[in-house]
Amino acid sequence: MNVLEQQLLLGLFIGGLYGLAAAGLSLVFGVMKVLDVAHGELIMLGGYMTVFVVAFVGLDPFVALLLVIPLSLLLGVALYWGLFSFVVRADEETRVKNSLLIGFGLALALHALAVQLWTADERSIVTPYAGAVITVGELSIPLVRLASLAVAFALIGGLHLLLARWRWGKAIRATAEDWQAALLTGIDVRRAYLLAFAIGTGLAGAAGTLVTVGYSVSPSIGLEWTLKALIVVVLAGLGSMIGTFVGGLLLGVAEAASAATFGGPYREVVGLVIFVVVLVVRPRGLFGR
Amino acid sequence: MLEIRDLQAAYGDIRVLDGVTLTVGPGEIVALLGPNGAGKSTLLNSIAGLLRPRAGAVSFEGEDLGRLHAHRIVDRGVALVPEGRRLFGGMTVAENLELGAFASRARATKAAGLERVFALFPDLRERRRQLVRALSGGQQQMVAVGRALMTNPKLLMLDEPSLGIAPRLVRAIMDALAEINRGGVAVFLVEQNVQAALGLAHRAYVLESGRIALQGPAAELLRDPHVRRAYLGPLAVRE
Amino acid sequence: MNGLSGRRERWWATAILLALGLLALLPLAAPRDDVLNFVFLILLSITMAQSWNIVAGYAGQVNLGHAAFFGLGALVARILWIGGTPIALAMVAGAATATAFALLIGAAAFRLRGAYFAIGTLALGEILRTTVNNVLPEISTLPARTIAGYRLTQRYYLALALAALSVLAVAALAGSRLGLGMRAIREDEEAAEATGVDALKLKLTALALSTGLAGLAGGLFAFYHISYYPSHPFGPHWTFDALLMTFIGGVGTLPGPVLGAVLYVVLKEYVALRWVDFHLLIFGALFIAIVLLLPGGLVQAAERVRRLAGR
Repeated sequence: MNVLEQQLLLGLFIGGLYGLAAAGLSLVFGVMKVLDVAHGELIMLGGYMTVFVVAFVGLDPFVALLLVIPLSLLLGVALYWGLFSFVVRADEETRVKNSLLIGFGLALALHALAVQLWTADERSIVTPYAGAVITVGELSIPLVRLASLAVAFALIGGLHLLLARWRWGKAIRATAEDWQAALLTGIDVRRAYLLAFAIGTGLAGAAGTLVTVGYSVSPSIGLEWTLKALIVVVLAGLGSMIGTFVGGLLLGVAEAASAATFGGPYREVVGLVIFVVVLVVRPRGLFGR
Repeated sequence: MLEIRDLQAAYGDIRVLDGVTLTVGPGEIVALLGPNGAGKSTLLNSIAGLLRPRAGAVSFEGEDLGRLHAHRIVDRGVALVPEGRRLFGGMTVAENLELGAFASRARATKAAGLERVFALFPDLRERRRQLVRALSGGQQQMVAVGRALMTNPKLLMLDEPSLGIAPRLVRAIMDALAEINRGGVAVFLVEQNVQAALGLAHRAYVLESGRIALQGPAAELLRDPHVRRAYLGPLAVRE
Repeated sequence: MNGLSGRRERWWATAILLALGLLALLPLAAPRDDVLNFVFLILLSITMAQSWNIVAGYAGQVNLGHAAFFGLGALVARILWIGGTPIALAMVAGAATATAFALLIGAAAFRLRGAYFAIGTLALGEILRTTVNNVLPEISTLPARTIAGYRLTQRYYLALALAALSVLAVAALAGSRLGLGMRAIREDEEAAEATGVDALKLKLTALALSTGLAGLAGGLFAFYHISYYPSHPFGPHWTFDALLMTFIGGVGTLPGPVLGAVLYVVLKEYVALRWVDFHLLIFGALFIAIVLLLPGGLVQAAERVRRLAGR
């Protein structure tokens, strides 16, 4: 019995990372109508940034976030200027399709680049407190993962406030709802796109840090994380970052429950099946509100 | 103030505007009439910068608008209330209005602008915390006009503000436009409700098949047999 | 996606088939295993790219789960073949399974439009891969007796035949009313339906044809490799490779996937000698450039050059 509870708890922890990964994707898709399937690769890059910041600057990985997030934001700006600013000129349907293809090419290139630079090996970060565990009743809670969940939640909360309160946050939401109307109120929509993409990449970078601390990073983790993020976005819909985060937690728990029921190897299948079913049942509305 | 010369616009291969020339002077209310598909919305969208014209010139206070992005045009003092209102439905009335003051020329006058909107549409003051989605069509139209007004425009353009609104509220909107105009804002109005539009406007143009077919003082057009037959219907002719 | 005129398509079909005919002489001229293996890889890639081109290039449905059908063909053909069924029959059974599965899921999957179809099929492919990996985690190796009788030229000729078949299929499709209807769907599905095109039926036809060829290619893979993990042919890279080749060569054209496949395999083999996976960096970048700047791929570039030169 407590084995199951322990598994569900671990599912909750990884679910927090799914939520964080999905938030960035959701923001970019919701605002720009751009489906960036290289999102998982951006998470992967965030992971490697963390590995190097920890190794060469000697920071604690959680403190390293203070460097990784700004670096990822800059990467997002560069990617927007270099690639996605060309995509957003097209009409909406072409935009989604082209962005998918471009994201796909980017994913391949980033993956290959990572293999060149850092080899295909898995890496992780070992902190001095890696083995620390808090025991509550019969549950043992790994400190690192608890901290990761807290950081993920804090980031989502911060994002929520940013979108609700900040002048440009409101502009981003307005652009997501109706970009032409946003133009008519004097919002520089391209700037809103740039900000959304940069923030989305920043969130991916942060997710990369947490993934690397709690689990591990290798050049090939991208596709898996893109899929997880897509599943959560489909489940949670667009519009609410808190809702997306909750969707991530649910996916994590659902995976853990199915792993406990059908056996570990089926952990991945459950989310994918839910995804396909939701897609087919709500082919148009799923990304709506 | 607004000068349009020989404007041509097209969607793909389909030519919509075929050389339109018109002007709106400071303090004027000008109506643009015409049947569906004549290109009225296209004209407004071209002025607002949502659509790039094929040829011709749009200038505002002597400045060429053709090279400016839509958000810059708003900053020059040209606002558009688009067809179907196009509000941010998931946001509150207050947020919608605030976003109207996004451009730099409007930011300084935000507080005063908000008071002006609430004075014009007292309903909105009580409902400012409500989501726009939950409002009636007429109230939404008020928000749309209010949002455009928040940009502190010198020229306010409206695309079919009476569409899908209860008659009582059409009157309220038209009264509000007259009030706004008395405050020194020029108004350029596209309207299906010809009676209401000509009752409000000083001058009017009739756009047919992408060209200006007729123009003149509003009172004169109201008496014009062609206008009466085509736009006011048999009822009005008998009147 | 710029198509070619009917005459250009026929010219290309003839040229490609002639080239494939010449390749039939290769085992006689240069009976070296490394050469044959290299050309085999090109031929398999042509079949995969061309099969993907049918559903994505002609019918406009970006199927990111193509590997699932390659994998199903390989899975069924391998089991039957090792069980004693003649390889030709085993391959046909594999292809039939792939097509049957495609038709089964197609009606549901085609409710999705554009990018949603793409990510839906991507997830579907991953479901199959994970499941096969769970059910059959053991490596599949040919029995010693079969290995003893292994002849590369057999595989080579089979690959040649499949590549020719895929080119013929696309050539026939490109010139037919069926192909015209598919292209109409690609350009504007609603408009196509308004003119009386049964979009779902045509999309299912394209998918059946595409997955049938992919299933045959999977059978060839099963026939060719001595040992591999059963989940390997389900791997997403089979889809991604086909997509890259097709786009770089020219999606929705007959010669595009062939040119793309040749270029891709040549560069991959050449670069792999020095840098692992480096070809993906080059092709990833090239692919992005083509999507942004040259949606018709190399074929379109060649056509432009030809038109300029002709002037």
